[in-house]
Amino acid sequence: MAAPLPDVQLATPTPPPLPSLINARQLRAQRMGRALRLWVPAGILIILLAICFLLPLVTTLPSATRGNIIYNNEPPFSQGHLLGTDVQGVDIFSQLVYGGQVAFEISLAVTAIGIAIGGTLGVVAGYASGWVDALVSRILDILIAFPALVLALVIAQGLGPSEFHLILALSVFGIPAVGRIARGATLVIRGLPYITAAELAGTRRWRIIARHIVPNIVPGIVTFSLLGIGVVIILEGALDFLGYGIQAPQPSWGNMIANGQQILSAQPEYVLIPSIALLITVAALNMLGDALRERWGVQ
Amino acid sequence: MALAQQIQLQTGGSGARGSARRIAGSPALRVAGRRLLSAIPVLIGVTFLTFVVMSTLPNTTAQAILGLNASPSAVIALNHSLGLDQPFWVQYWHWLSNVLHGNFGTSIQGQSINHELASRVPTTLMLLLYALVVSVVLAIIVAALAARRPNGIADRLSLAVSVLGLSIAPYAFALVLIIVFAVKLAWFPVLSGPVTDPSSFFRNLTLPAASIGFGLFAIYTRLLRADVVEQMQREDYIVTAKAKGVAPWRVLIRHALRNSMFNLITVIGLNLGGLIGAAAIIETIFQVQGIGNDLLNGISQHDEPLVEGIVLVFALVTVFGNLLADLAYAVLDPRIRYGRSTS
Repeated sequence: MAAPLPDVQLATPTPPPLPSLINARQLRAQRMGRALRLWVPAGILIILLAICFLLPLVTTLPSATRGNIIYNNEPPFSQGHLLGTDVQGVDIFSQLVYGGQVAFEISLAVTAIGIAIGGTLGVVAGYASGWVDALVSRILDILIAFPALVLALVIAQGLGPSEFHLILALSVFGIPAVGRIARGATLVIRGLPYITAAELAGTRRWRIIARHIVPNIVPGIVTFSLLGIGVVIILEGALDFLGYGIQAPQPSWGNMIANGQQILSAQPEYVLIPSIALLITVAALNMLGDALRERWGVQ
Repeated sequence: MALAQQIQLQTGGSGARGSARRIAGSPALRVAGRRLLSAIPVLIGVTFLTFVVMSTLPNTTAQAILGLNASPSAVIALNHSLGLDQPFWVQYWHWLSNVLHGNFGTSIQGQSINHELASRVPTTLMLLLYALVVSVVLAIIVAALAARRPNGIADRLSLAVSVLGLSIAPYAFALVLIIVFAVKLAWFPVLSGPVTDPSSFFRNLTLPAASIGFGLFAIYTRLLRADVVEQMQREDYIVTAKAKGVAPWRVLIRHALRNSMFNLITVIGLNLGGLIGAAAIIETIFQVQGIGNDLLNGISQHDEPLVEGIVLVFALVTVFGNLLADLAYAVLDPRIRYGRSTS
């Protein structure tokens, strides 16, 4: 005669199925899926990084800048050339490896600069509010509305092509984007009760920022930055592709694609091979970002 | 009031006058008006920054006009007559006042930039609109199919396609499209010709628009799908609609998808700025006769007036795109349309 109990249950909306209510096999499959979604892209990235940075140290790769014209246009899997050679007889696999080094170095540096400068600006603007916020937001607005490609091209052209100048030029993309994300996240955290509590307890401002705000916005910024690294790799390739980035004898994925464009109809593989390398790298970064977002519950 | 008239045109139908008055007093329109005002410093900032950036490049304009054999004194004289030896803020003021009078100046090749922009802006706008419209329509269809059954086959397929679209470099995708559709299948030309009539529009702009649009499609699909799925699981009006016996498809489209449009509109507005870079690179690959192509040529030739004019056009497109997104909110959201504050 436990009559009241069903009534109470009818009045509440059906709760979402809790993980513990699903049977054990489904639960295991779910956990497995989640682990795979994180570790497959992470594994791909680790392998790519190892190929780019460790492989040249432990084995001797053919030169990536000079080749023997006698052995040009070798097909993939030919003797001594894993992916064949290009029109000048330069080994394509070596070009991919050294081009990958450039892509990773530049994108990681640009992202680090973006987090350091953009993140600082965003957190300070979001926490300080008032005229500081207005000024910083306006500057970020201008940088976002400004066609950054123009700035990047002009910087690359004015300073001359080099890896360091490319990093400077591409930071124009990274700083305002991270700045806006950091400001938005700070604004959300700032409204929460524990910040008020800390302020009332007389905690210093820099300590509130360092101990209460920064640790809470880090997950959001890290997942965003993983997507950002992918975007920077694509943009770096774009500058190389347009001839404003890494210059000809030094290989990069972008200028490999540009070289391949010259003989596109005859030998599409010269475009396809670096494009696929680019695609796998960026896709792995995107998937890793998604998996971390799911794990950390970032919106 | 011009804005009120614009709203009136968009709402149309009977009683438009009354609803226009209601909208004119609405918070959304005031926000839009404030946006319009705050766009002015952004536009000035963007053009000024372009000026500063371009003036860091070595000044080769006079040398380029006179040729390599010109005497140094002739170069100095031409620099003086063009006003290029003045400080850059004087030059900027000069340029700004000319632009406000509707004169963009002449490029270093001696052509009128007004004429150049008038002939080339339409092609770029057509290209961007083509890419935008097709990607939005496809994204809505795919997101609806995917959200119907989360984690179903359609959902997984759409997820894979959108990860691909987000990860592929537009220039690499453009070259793949050329290999498949222009070289192997020969459905489209490798290099785009001038756009004169509808058939040449589809012939010349389909591959460039697809190169630009694939990435956009991926972003929009992800966004819409996530938003619709969340609403279907959380919102009370979905439960109400289902309880009333509304067909599942109808719930999805009329109740969930319609509400997700607002997020989509915001993201489209925000994305407009990024389209410029894509347009420049893609137009160069396909040799589309648009201003993106001009922009890259202008930068490589240090053609400051041309670059300034094009950057201004792009900045205007971005700012007005965002403004249109704000106005679309006012027109689409019944709470705002009927003049009630959301707060």
